[in-house]
Amino acid sequence: MTKRIFRSICLVALVVFFSCVILFMGVLYEYFSNVEHAQLAMQTDLAAQGVRNEGIGYFDDLSIADYRITWIDTDGHVIYDSESDTANMENHLEREEVQEALLAGYGESERYSVTLMERALYSARKLDDGSVLRLSISQKSILTLLLGMVQPVCMIFGIALVLSVVLAIRVSKKIVEPINEIDLDDPLSNEGYDELSPFLRRIDSQRKQLHKQETRLLQKENELNTIIDSMNEGMVLLNPQGKIISINPAARKLLDAGENCAGMDMLSLCRNLDLQEILGDALKGERGERTILLHGESYQIDANPITSENLVKGAALFFFNITEKEKSEQIRREFTANVSHELKTPLHTISGYAELLKDNMVKENDRMPFAGKIYNETQRMIRLVEDIISLSRLDEGAADMKREDIELYGLALKAVQSLETEAEAAGVTLTLSGTAVTLNGISQLLYSVIYNLCDNAIKYNQEHGKVTVTVRREESAAVLTVEDTGIGIAPEHQERIFERFYRVDKSRSKAVGGTGLGLSIVKHAAKIHHARIEVNSSVGKGTIVIVRFPITKENKG
Amino acid sequence: MRREFDEQLELLNKELITMGAFCENAIAMSAKALTEGKPELAEHVPDLSVQIDHKEREIETMCLKLLLQRQPVAKDLRIVSSALKMVTDMARIGDQSADIAEIITLANIHADDDTQIIHDMSVAVIKMVTDSIDAFVKKDMKMAKAVIEYDDIVDSFFDKVKKILINLFSKPEADGEYAIDLLMIAKYFERIGDHAVNIAKWVLFSITGNKEG
Repeated sequence: MTKRIFRSICLVALVVFFSCVILFMGVLYEYFSNVEHAQLAMQTDLAAQGVRNEGIGYFDDLSIADYRITWIDTDGHVIYDSESDTANMENHLEREEVQEALLAGYGESERYSVTLMERALYSARKLDDGSVLRLSISQKSILTLLLGMVQPVCMIFGIALVLSVVLAIRVSKKIVEPINEIDLDDPLSNEGYDELSPFLRRIDSQRKQLHKQETRLLQKENELNTIIDSMNEGMVLLNPQGKIISINPAARKLLDAGENCAGMDMLSLCRNLDLQEILGDALKGERGERTILLHGESYQIDANPITSENLVKGAALFFFNITEKEKSEQIRREFTANVSHELKTPLHTISGYAELLKDNMVKENDRMPFAGKIYNETQRMIRLVEDIISLSRLDEGAADMKREDIELYGLALKAVQSLETEAEAAGVTLTLSGTAVTLNGISQLLYSVIYNLCDNAIKYNQEHGKVTVTVRREESAAVLTVEDTGIGIAPEHQERIFERFYRVDKSRSKAVGGTGLGLSIVKHAAKIHHARIEVNSSVGKGTIVIVRFPITKENKG
Repeated sequence: MRREFDEQLELLNKELITMGAFCENAIAMSAKALTEGKPELAEHVPDLSVQIDHKEREIETMCLKLLLQRQPVAKDLRIVSSALKMVTDMARIGDQSADIAEIITLANIHADDDTQIIHDMSVAVIKMVTDSIDAFVKKDMKMAKAVIEYDDIVDSFFDKVKKILINLFSKPEADGEYAIDLLMIAKYFERIGDHAVNIAKWVLFSITGNKEG
């Protein structure tokens, strides 16, 4: 910048300087030429006067250095010349000024002498005798004058240069100083010169835009971080060297990593060889999956390479806790095994009896009991299959079942009545008490809840025992209580009785019948109605099962 | 120059951890085969032991190269020299795990009350090995010292096994082969414990520069 300013200043100075020189020289030269012309004419007249008066003798005592005097006779021969020898001089008749003088009495002319870089001014006057007297003076040309002035011109030129440099430095400093001192955080508060303000305004708008973008970026990053941080799954990002770039809290907890484990090698957090293997593969660009044991829980680990432009830029590890999943898978496998077993047992019995009947190996008297046994077993199978069907429907969430307003007491009455024969057979007194409570629910399921609970209460009762069913309303819940004086359930079993096919006493199950799915159905049906089940039991004394159906909007009657 | 050296040291560190992980696996597999009574689990241990030996050679070469080419001093020298010593102990752990596995595959050991104490002993030894490698990974002096102290527990386990076996021999129906195998396994576990102590000591040395005991 300084350079450019310097150049401009310099250029301006030089242009002004030279134009001034040219102007002055032109004007002054013109003026002095005119003066010289006039003087020359006057001198010529004076000399002519002298020659007229004194003749050739006039020249003898003439001492003029500035002028050259030439006297030319009528033929053009030079009679006298103040500078040259007359004998060698050519005829001057044809000279312009001489011709003019011969004609008009007075003549003037000027000629350049290239060799001397001078201009000669001539003036000639015709004397009375017809001869011509000529005076000439040499005048220096402009160029000569200028050449003579080279030194001062150079000096002035030098001064202009120095001044330009100094000025340029000062000006550029003055321009740049406020720019350098701009407070970029608040550009509008700066006091520069006026020309700066558009620049400042632009900086201000840019700054605002940047700030906005920064905020947006930060917000996005925060969102992402919050999501990653609150993820239950562990996530670790690694660079191509297998060093940790970022790790979320779940993974940190899982791997017992400290706060500042970024930059550490994955190997120093987890030495599991399976993990190392899939991580190695991922860093080579192949995704992998393994299940490993960490702290006694199974984790499925996914290792994904992060690629861009076909280059592996790192890897992402995800840790999924699949302990629950494995457990539920286990339960399902057990359930299938149980179902097949439960179905197979009656089938074997039926098949056995049927074979005996077919081969006619049964005595006439035994036929009826055999048929009865086959009938009983098929009944058991039907019950089992029905239970399995209703359970699987409950598993689906009972979506296809209709919700309606149900009067719980009436429903309980129906269930109790249908169980009366069984109660009588078991020698158990079955009573129902309470008030009418209406709630919105699925009639079929509510019925099976009451039925199964009562059924169990009768089955696992003692001789002359009692079963009391109560229906009442409690604040915002319909409460069903089934109390028995039966054998009770030990605390260690209370947790598990709702599991499918779980039996407290496996040897007893055969005797009392039942499918082992009753309480499972109760649990699922209660869940669909958002009901809570409470079991209070002591071994040998009896069991109280309390089911609270909340009468909320959904269950409201 | 220095950066390159740091990278090489880091690689050495990584290789050592990997070798440690191999050792942990080898001993854990042997112990599992023993306590769960599944000799087939032990069949892979000799392979692992071979892998461990390969790693040992690799790391040794790496250390010697570092010593020759870089001529490390002070802490760097301690790291390289302790690594050189540590791999020997690790390789021994691998070998002895393989020895245990070999005894198990002979199938003279049957699940018994006596194997319970061997199980407890193996748990203690695995803990020592894991902790000694953890101490190395985390450069944790406290942990290293804890490993050295823990050796007493493993030693006391060995004494208990010895007493049980003496009792066993005094009975006329004693199964000699079984007893000797059990004793060998106990001895190997005890030796593995000692190697873990050595590793812990080398960890201390690489941190402090003091070689005790």
